[in-house]
Amino acid sequence: MTVSQANVSAVEATSGRIRRHLLVDRVYHWLMAGCVVTLLATAFLPIIGYKFEWLGLHWTTGVALSALVLIHIVRAVIWQDFWAMMIDGADLRNGWRHLARALGGKGAAPGMPGKYNGLQKLYHAGIAVLVLSIVVTGLLMLLKIDTPLWRRNPYVLADYQWGWIYVVHGFASMALITMVMVHIYFALRPDEWRLTRSMFRGWITRREFEEHHDKQRWAADEY
Amino acid sequence: MQLFRYSTSIYGGSDVLIGASWDLLKWFVVAGAVIIVLHAAVKAVTSRRADRT
Repeated sequence: MTVSQANVSAVEATSGRIRRHLLVDRVYHWLMAGCVVTLLATAFLPIIGYKFEWLGLHWTTGVALSALVLIHIVRAVIWQDFWAMMIDGADLRNGWRHLARALGGKGAAPGMPGKYNGLQKLYHAGIAVLVLSIVVTGLLMLLKIDTPLWRRNPYVLADYQWGWIYVVHGFASMALITMVMVHIYFALRPDEWRLTRSMFRGWITRREFEEHHDKQRWAADEY
Repeated sequence: MQLFRYSTSIYGGSDVLIGASWDLLKWFVVAGAVIIVLHAAVKAVTSRRADRT
């Protein structure tokens, strides 16, 4: 083997690609993002003063989001690695070590995460709670409007019950604004750019995989 | 600042709960901005500390 062949071989060893997101999961992510932005815009723009006929677009997008969430839950339970998104003991230990170091401590170094780190899993759990709250209360609220598929029947619940449904829908929707802001911030950070790129193209480089992930905790595939 | 919105019942009596107060909307936006600024500040300090060592 010549020196140049050895160099090419060494570059190839670190220049491979690791699959992070399948096309179906990337499509799901961007469809969900489109639905969430549309729902937040049709909900809150009229409240802050931009008046338009918002209800039709809001409820149809809400039904689309409900269908997407249902598909995602089925995929996550049956075809995806469900436990890759669950917070485990190693995440808690690493989180504690990161916190201790950020505060100036000199304890053990935190280990590397698997496919997702502890904060990403925590964020996903928060989004799951908020979106499921919004979907369930939103589907119930469809009983209060006429659509081509059904007639309104608001009398299935008492006034105070409807009040609490609207309270949950409203608080979860406002909290979703906070979560979306944080999500976009992390997506735009240069040190997280590999993850944003992977949500467009599906892969991270082998070098990024080796620098940021624990092979024992993420059995990754070549792209 | 109120947490909830109420309407007056057409039958009289106590007010009826109708949802969360939209006055809170700006505070959720502020919360997002605070998280972003705090994280950026912590990352800036810790990366500067890592560069020195």
